Amino acid sequence: MMMPTYARFASALAICAVTAGCATPGDPNPADPWEGFNRGVYKFNDTVDRALFKPVAQAYTYVTPQPVRSCFHNMFSNVGDLWSAANSFLQGRGHDFVNTLGRFLFNTTMGVGGCFDVATANGARKIPNDFGTTLGVWGIGQGPYLVLPFFGPSTVRDGVGRIGDWQGGIYTYSTPGAIDNVPIRNSLWGLDIVDTRASLLTTTDTVDRVALDPYSFVRDAYLQRRAAMVRGDVETDDLPDYSIDEEDAETDDAATQPTAPAAAPAQ
Amino acid sequence: MRFSAFSLLQRLVLAGALGLIAATAAHAKPDAHGAPDKFVLETANEALDVLRADSNVKAGNLDRINQVVNQYILPYVNFRKTTQLSAGRYWRQATPEQKDALADAFRGTLIRTYSGALTDVQQNTEIKLLPFRGDANADDVVVRSQITQPNGQPVGVDYRLEKDPEQGWRIYDINVEGIWLIQNYRNQFAQQIQQSGIDGLIKALNQRNQ
Repeated sequence: MMMPTYARFASALAICAVTAGCATPGDPNPADPWEGFNRGVYKFNDTVDRALFKPVAQAYTYVTPQPVRSCFHNMFSNVGDLWSAANSFLQGRGHDFVNTLGRFLFNTTMGVGGCFDVATANGARKIPNDFGTTLGVWGIGQGPYLVLPFFGPSTVRDGVGRIGDWQGGIYTYSTPGAIDNVPIRNSLWGLDIVDTRASLLTTTDTVDRVALDPYSFVRDAYLQRRAAMVRGDVETDDLPDYSIDEEDAETDDAATQPTAPAAAPAQ
Repeated sequence: MRFSAFSLLQRLVLAGALGLIAATAAHAKPDAHGAPDKFVLETANEALDVLRADSNVKAGNLDRINQVVNQYILPYVNFRKTTQLSAGRYWRQATPEQKDALADAFRGTLIRTYSGALTDVQQNTEIKLLPFRGDANADDVVVRSQITQPNGQPVGVDYRLEKDPEQGWRIYDINVEGIWLIQNYRNQFAQQIQQSGIDGLIKALNQRNQ
């Protein structure tokens, strides 16, 4: 199971090395010192996605009725809530912990095993959480940005967090990995992957349409989002500060504006 | 598991667009000189009415949606400021003509972002304001909201507004689930300008517009 993954990863690295796709561009972003390598893996992921995952997800969306897809999606999301709740607990976010646990109990019973997300319908929105965020809350910096083969955008910290998610998901029975029966486990994994990709079809289409450089677009969105998750619910104190540039630009505008009236009388 | 980072992008584009549309439609001429959160909510509900009533929008006609964006969103957004802040320190290196061209070219990208999302407005899409934090008398405020869709999780959308003495409140930045729009374009702009200058950036944006 793992060998082909490693083999493909290795070949991606080889391609990247041979085609000089790994060369880091001139002005490196401090958050992304391994940009050359990351772009190589990004390109590999993108190629595999367009050849395999995206068409499969499109076919799945085409042949499966919306209520059925939504049921599968909600069931995966519901069991995932257990591990999210565990992370909220580890982060000392008691309110989130209780809410997420309540969501799980409500959806599992009233939502018929998680098929219907009745908790969201009743105002208890999902609180996504994972071990990478937990590490961040514990004070561990994100480290360099890192694009993982198949898994996509990550950082060094979040990559380690994924290992924690893997183990924790098995302990809390919230991933297919916790199932011993191999055919059932692998089928559920397949469905999980297809469901995840299918729920992202409009997103990736829009990224294709609006991003100037999809790699940078995805990276910056990922980093911003992860920082926000670690911060928690304290938005107003963390507004991005555009002021330095703004000041520069304003003095510039102020400098250009007087030239217009000055030019007018000269005519 | 896979591509989990994209789920936030999905929210970015879907909800952000919905949110901005919702927040800025001009149907009932909401009071741009009143309280900023009220301004956002009034315009949001007007806009949602327009979208829900329009069968072409529901059918996913992108051209028609572009028109709606142009008509109902642009009047309430300070696109030039969005462009200026996205360009950051490069803005002052630009000539006035380049500034105009850049704002024009970027507007196309933003319209497409919102349009792509509008196909998802449904009959019971709703916007709800979250409690306003901060100083209501300031000239630069953040209004927080949550957008609910029938088949999905509610999405948090924040709007950053600036008060213009004449025009009143104008939105210049939005945040979807922790991702600020301007911040997300800064590196892309800088990268393109370093490679091919401001004209190169304008050209790249215009190419995407075609």
